[in-house]
Amino acid sequence: MERKLLMSMKNIVKQYPGTLALNDISMDIYAGEVLGLIGENGAGKSTLMKIMIGAETATSGELRMHGKNYAPKNPIEANALGVGMVFQEQSLILNLSVAQNIFIGREKRFIRHGFVDRKAMNEAAAKVLAEMEIPQIKASTRVNRLDFASRQMVEIAKVFDAVNGEAKEGSVILLDEPTSVLNAEEIRQLFKHVRRLCAAGNAVIFVSHKLDEVMEIADRICVFKDGCLVREMENRAEEVNEAVLYEAMVGRTASNEYYQLGRQRMPEETVVLELKNLSKRGFFADVSLQLHRGEIIGICGVIGSGKEELCAVISGDEDPTSGEIVIGGKVCKLPSPHSALRQGILSVPRERRAGGIISDFSAYENIYMSNYDKVKKNGVISPKLAREQAEEYRKELDIKLPNVDQKVGNLSGGNAQKVVFARVLASDAEVLLLDHPTRGVDVGAKAEIYSIIRDIANQGKSLIVLGDTLEESIGLSNRVVVMKDGEVTRIFDAPPEKKPEQVDIVKYMM
Amino acid sequence: MDKQVHTSRVGEEFAQEMKKQSQKERFMSLAPLIILLVLIVIFSVTAQGFFSINNFYNLLNQAAIPLVMSLGLTFVILMGSTDLSAEGLGGFIGSVVALMVLNSKNDMNLGAFAIPLVVLISIGVSMLSGLLHIKGKLPSFMVSYGVSSIMSGFAVLSYRGVPARIRDPLFTVMAQGNFLGIPYLTWIAIVTFVIAYILQNRTRFGSYVMAIGDNEAIAKNIGINIEWTKFKVFVWLGLCIGIVGVMGAVRVGQGDVGIGSDLVFPAITSVVVGGTSLSGGKGGVVHTLIGAFIVTVINNALVLLGVSPYIQQAVQGLIILGAVALSVPHGKNLIVK
Repeated sequence: MERKLLMSMKNIVKQYPGTLALNDISMDIYAGEVLGLIGENGAGKSTLMKIMIGAETATSGELRMHGKNYAPKNPIEANALGVGMVFQEQSLILNLSVAQNIFIGREKRFIRHGFVDRKAMNEAAAKVLAEMEIPQIKASTRVNRLDFASRQMVEIAKVFDAVNGEAKEGSVILLDEPTSVLNAEEIRQLFKHVRRLCAAGNAVIFVSHKLDEVMEIADRICVFKDGCLVREMENRAEEVNEAVLYEAMVGRTASNEYYQLGRQRMPEETVVLELKNLSKRGFFADVSLQLHRGEIIGICGVIGSGKEELCAVISGDEDPTSGEIVIGGKVCKLPSPHSALRQGILSVPRERRAGGIISDFSAYENIYMSNYDKVKKNGVISPKLAREQAEEYRKELDIKLPNVDQKVGNLSGGNAQKVVFARVLASDAEVLLLDHPTRGVDVGAKAEIYSIIRDIANQGKSLIVLGDTLEESIGLSNRVVVMKDGEVTRIFDAPPEKKPEQVDIVKYMM
Repeated sequence: MDKQVHTSRVGEEFAQEMKKQSQKERFMSLAPLIILLVLIVIFSVTAQGFFSINNFYNLLNQAAIPLVMSLGLTFVILMGSTDLSAEGLGGFIGSVVALMVLNSKNDMNLGAFAIPLVVLISIGVSMLSGLLHIKGKLPSFMVSYGVSSIMSGFAVLSYRGVPARIRDPLFTVMAQGNFLGIPYLTWIAIVTFVIAYILQNRTRFGSYVMAIGDNEAIAKNIGINIEWTKFKVFVWLGLCIGIVGVMGAVRVGQGDVGIGSDLVFPAITSVVVGGTSLSGGKGGVVHTLIGAFIVTVINNALVLLGVSPYIQQAVQGLIILGAVALSVPHGKNLIVK
């Protein structure tokens, strides 16, 4: 059967400072198909979607829609050209009605004598909702009165109508993790609607971490890894199963040298931090874990698995709803990051500029920020002591700085991160939480940071790492904790001679 | 592998939490009305003369000017901005309108025509501060404070020290006359409310203001012309301040810069007490109506109870602190500056 080409992408490249987010992606999208996109977080799916919807522009490459050059400057232009996207974060205005939300920005056809004809608008919205088979949602209801799943359905209805209602030819609809807040029945309905749309000559791109859903709905599956399209396959039951997809998503494992496995030590017996049935309602539940002196634990999970919130609780940034945090044998409360630091836990946030360094401060000032006591003399900060301390760390960590008075804002990612590590070391904290310690850092600096992490562990400190990649989490850690839907699904031992396979870990993540 | 992907325990809990929160929000949006009713019951019992026809008209009369002012500010605050220009601008408009009608200082005497003229001037000034905020990217709070100061100065300059007494009979009629027993000034407030209600609920403008206040990034993505919408909000504010300036002149019978004083703070109180969030996107004109009456009822009752005016002012401060404390989101990681 001759398939009608809707959209084609040729050699799409997206370069961000420091990272190649998309590397030469070519892909065709045909009328009537559901295309499933899968890959780890950071594999490039979201970037590609953003380019398709006009929220980002490609560094190079060409997009064509209906045979014509396609370069939308923003989502509105994309909608008009027949491409719509349901974003992962909902974009409804809570204090407006369902109808107002569905037609926001497109009210023109309901304007009578300068005023919005609410009756006509509500009727039109009711029609859209009926088409979506969610007539139980009333068009005049304010969105903040709806539950989360209904909001998601309204969001989907809105995008479907915006794109399909206006485009004359087949349109392309992007769904980014659309099912995360839906229950089984709602998902079934959504799928039914997706199929109906496709039968009418549109195409749907379905991005999800839930492989069973992708396998159920997709006609074709594209697998992304590290910005590349690594596999493209027809979704036939005899060829595609979860194992095949896992394999494609993780690819080959990198060399062990990179993570300095030779320097990985057995942790000591002493438990420095213990979590007992720690829960935060709605985010994670019953996490129990022991962190030993000198141990590195990697936590893996997709976005929404609860790992971020777990770390926020351990660093004192959020409060747990139940369970205990035991530090050095004592049950502790961590009402704030400051209090966590006083009890020996320090977290290194993911966004350096936002939370790790103070750009306008010099390197030496940044380094003493988590522990003033070391640089105090007669009760006040001694710039001399502070500079000396910074000078030591500059040598020890090989931070490339002309002098320690240099402002940190101008440093490269790797060097800025080393300043953060200097602060961490100066803090004397016993437990360190590293959230994506190598994000935005180039390859060479990465190796140095891994080396610093090994040094820290071998000095007898304990670390919890949220790796930038799965490989990193496995490579660095003594143990890998896998979380899914807020619960720990498996804990793997990861001794240097027998690291767990990525494939096995992914199985417990998705 | 377990197959129950769709219903995890944590997912269920999350849904429950969301439900709880939306129930709480629902209750919070009704809270101002409940508070108003409770206050009325309490004062009816404790304050002699509170629950009477006479006092009812009194309340309507007292609420008129604050209500128009709050309706003007409602859209600004819904959008997440603040505006303090009314103090100077309202005083200026009141001063100037007195000089333009039959008065004790000059013989300009434009009659009724003076009113639309000064309202237009007010809109013009407000448009200017709007431009400074929107195009100049200056914080609305500081722009409006500056504009307020400038206009206060101009107000006093306009009458050079001694305010003009109004002798125009039209103003006397407006001050004293009534229709269906309700004073004309109150009618002006009622009409302004109806217009504001329609603006909020029956026009694109209303939806867009709400969208900008809720989340400006989304509003931008939806394709809303944000600058134009904001500009229109300042036009509406200027209109309301113009009307308030004239109403003030009618009430005091002379053109005095003092007409503008004590306009802004009670108006912001009314808007916030009514449940419109200072961060925008929540509330609206009906909330403001309720808020304006809460503030008026309290002031009225405190007078009836014979409380000292200084204590009344302190009470107003407490009300706004309480209302803000109740209406802003609470959370450990909220960064408030």
